[in-house]
Amino acid sequence: MATKTLKTAQSIRRFAMVIDAKKCINCKACVVACKAENQVPLGVFRNWIGEEASGEYPRLRMSFDPEQCHHCADPSCVRVCPTGASWQREDGIVLVKEDDCIGCKYCIIACPYDARYHNPETHTVGKCTFCSHRVDRGEVPACVETCPSKVRVFGDLNDPKSQLHQLLATRRYEVKNPQTGNGPQLYYLL
Amino acid sequence: MERRTFMEIIGAGSMILPPLACNFRRPVAAGPTFLDGIATTCELCPNKCSVLAVVKDGHITKLNPNPENPKSRGMLCARGNAAVQQVYDPDRLKQPLIRVGARGEGKWRPASWDEAFDYTAKKLSDIKAKHGPEGTLWSSTEGFQEIFFKNLGQAFGSPNVMRHPSLCLASVNLAYSMTFGTVPSFDLLNADYVIMSGANRFESIITPDTMDLIGGTMERKAKLIYLDPRFTVTASKADEWYPIKPGTDMAFILAMMNVIITENRYDKAFVESVTVGFEQLAEHVKPYTPEWAEGETEIPAQDIARIARAFSDAAPRAVFYAGRRSSWYQNDFQMRRAQALLNAIVGNWDRQGGMVPNQKIAKGEFLVLPWDDPKASRVDEVEKAFPLASAKDGVYLPLRENVLKGQPYPVKGWMIYKQDPLHALPDQGKTMKMLDQMEFVGVIDIAMSDTAWYADVVFPESHYLERTDPIEVMPGIWPAAVYRQQVVKPIHDTKPCLEIAQGLAKRLGLSDYFDYTIEQWVEAEAKELPVQNGLAHMKQRGVVAVSQPKYGATLNPVHRFLTKSGKIEIFSERLKEAGQDPLPVYTTPVQPSGGRFRLVLGRKATITHATLTNLPWLHEHNPENDLWIHPEPAAKLNIRSGDLLDVSSSVGQVRIKARVTQEIRPDCVFMLHGFGKKSPWLKRVHNVGAADSVLLETAWDKVSGNAAMHETFVKVVKV
Ligand code: SF4
Ligand code: SF4
Ligand code: SF4
Repeated sequence: MATKTLKTAQSIRRFAMVIDAKKCINCKACVVACKAENQVPLGVFRNWIGEEASGEYPRLRMSFDPEQCHHCADPSCVRVCPTGASWQREDGIVLVKEDDCIGCKYCIIACPYDARYHNPETHTVGKCTFCSHRVDRGEVPACVETCPSKVRVFGDLNDPKSQLHQLLATRRYEVKNPQTGNGPQLYYLL
Repeated sequence: MERRTFMEIIGAGSMILPPLACNFRRPVAAGPTFLDGIATTCELCPNKCSVLAVVKDGHITKLNPNPENPKSRGMLCARGNAAVQQVYDPDRLKQPLIRVGARGEGKWRPASWDEAFDYTAKKLSDIKAKHGPEGTLWSSTEGFQEIFFKNLGQAFGSPNVMRHPSLCLASVNLAYSMTFGTVPSFDLLNADYVIMSGANRFESIITPDTMDLIGGTMERKAKLIYLDPRFTVTASKADEWYPIKPGTDMAFILAMMNVIITENRYDKAFVESVTVGFEQLAEHVKPYTPEWAEGETEIPAQDIARIARAFSDAAPRAVFYAGRRSSWYQNDFQMRRAQALLNAIVGNWDRQGGMVPNQKIAKGEFLVLPWDDPKASRVDEVEKAFPLASAKDGVYLPLRENVLKGQPYPVKGWMIYKQDPLHALPDQGKTMKMLDQMEFVGVIDIAMSDTAWYADVVFPESHYLERTDPIEVMPGIWPAAVYRQQVVKPIHDTKPCLEIAQGLAKRLGLSDYFDYTIEQWVEAEAKELPVQNGLAHMKQRGVVAVSQPKYGATLNPVHRFLTKSGKIEIFSERLKEAGQDPLPVYTTPVQPSGGRFRLVLGRKATITHATLTNLPWLHEHNPENDLWIHPEPAAKLNIRSGDLLDVSSSVGQVRIKARVTQEIRPDCVFMLHGFGKKSPWLKRVHNVGAADSVLLETAWDKVSGNAAMHETFVKVVKV
């Protein structure tokens, strides 16, 4: 991400996701939809729901935490990849070229969000692609579309008319582990 | 602003994004266009969500939600997404099978359809010759093709066509229709105050209620009060959760009415103009004070009183939600009646945010040749034993008792469609006995369920994505009609239920009643849909819907409710005449003693029906069930999470792992449905975990005959 002129910056889309975790009911629709859309093998996941329980009976709390690749602005996974298989599109989406991946797993170790897995069938590394094939057709990622509570909002950060932009403009939010310096692009509403 | 700087600002943590002056960009489309898939309707649970199936080279690659259906509201749950895997599941039934070994021994031989039809028709005819057509039982679970199965049973002459509501929501339906003359929906999207008792709406997904509850409680900040012995996802999202003492929900409701009536918080004008029997209710609830209810429910009296006040303040945008699934206790009907009365007196009837009578979408009907009424009466004697219940649907557990006794006549043949009685009914041992005493059992299903494993003939049905079904009307606040059309050709030697019924009908001399194709049937239905070119519309979009709710249509002075008095019946003369309590009378439930626990049941979003646990994408989230037990009793019994337990009731025993958790009352235990399968063809869950139906005792609600599923006490011992 070198410095760009104002004009270029505006003409480039920058995809990101806003997550309203409070609305998540841990129904796993997003997880199964992702498996179906991307033929993710059994046992590994591109997205998952963290679960945290606390308190003592009968004062109990439970919260859910939808997780996946953060499509970082400055992704350490891309930096460490020796073959260039891990790369980032201009619109911010981080992908893995399966043909170039040698399965060395450097990127798995480098990712601070545990977002990558080793595919036991192809011996390459896999991760969330923001369903770039759907996005390129003008659709939203499968997890976003299928969610009953519409926990996830996908969109272009550079588009002030997008719902994503509106949410970030009007609601408080945080990103996870900003100190990693990766510039994560999953925005969690508070 | 430079983009890099912009990213840093918004990446920096919790803060408000500064307004940016950027050019307008084409937004990413909100959903798929209709070119992207073949419109059809999900069948993995009764919600009937609209689906767009993506097909490439004759192979289904993905199912996406069809946003046009206002009931499914643009979503597809985990189960719905996994349906594609069901089509290609190697565990599916692939051709008709005839048993060769002993029942349950697992020796089958593949048969042609002709052979399976001939064999079955011969068996059914033999039974008919010996015992009459009433010697056969036809049982099924709801589905778009259920009608063909039912019609075959009726054309055959059997009075014993058994539907599933008495294992589901018969008590709820009866209680609300006895009160209002109809069963309403609950406008959760617009309600400001919602009470749910045992209805775990965030884990047992009901459309559109689950999504509307999210919209209501989370976006509009409506209040949600939740009563359940278990800490569920719904409990975690509720404003207040009370681990109510099991079986005492009615006490809570009666005490709410006590407060609302004593403090004059009910809707006087409404009660006076459209209800009968309020005076009797006011008298009836006098002893049921919050202090009294505290003793029953273990919910503090001041909380009950506060909730009652807040509920009536929020009315008419306040609902005590009915819930569904099977009834819990033997007084379930009366508990649901109490809910209905509470809703009635705060005047939430037919108002936005309240209870709303359902709208319906019109459709045509394909007329079939009428058959003679059966000569014998039903074997469950529902008219005699449960005169208020639905005689058409029957009462399943009393039926099983009678069949086992051979009373009032022998039933020796059992045809089963889309149902697994060994898991759907409590007391698996008893159901097994019932299977054993049958001379013939035939099952139509897509997989080798446990019941199929014990059958004589198994007919493989085509998967829902492989067949075309009748159009189904879904009443509601947002009513819809949906269509299920064939997406791909059957990949195995399977047939839709209609063709199975036709194959049997031909050999039973009943062909005249089945002289049509599915296309003709659907065409007749589509003709009267409220759209132009109904059939073409359905084929393209899969759904016709009304997207604007109508409120208040029944609130005009000339409207007559479909009750005896033409009004909302708080005091029910009909109940009195039938020898039942005309107002809900509370009796303290028996509680477990001697170190035993009450077994409570529930579901989660990935598993509702017993058939779903074997699907790999769902199974990987729930590979096995376990027994939830509170740390306090667990410590006394020296039980730690992961320990093997022997759990026993008066009717059965299972072995299951322990999960020690705070998320359940100390006097209850819980296990998930759908495990401990006997059928080795369900290989992921065969002998894995345990089946709740092995433990559950036979009990039913006294008025509706609905199975009462929370009446079982179990003993828990560490192995
Ligand atoms: S979350 Fe991990 S895998 Fe995704 S872009 Fe960031 S560093 Fe790479
Ligand atoms: S689909 Fe939505 S509600 Fe369900 S688990 Fe995923 S994010 Fe949560
Ligand atoms: S709720 Fe899920 S399983 Fe039920 S019909 Fe809808 S998508 Fe299918």
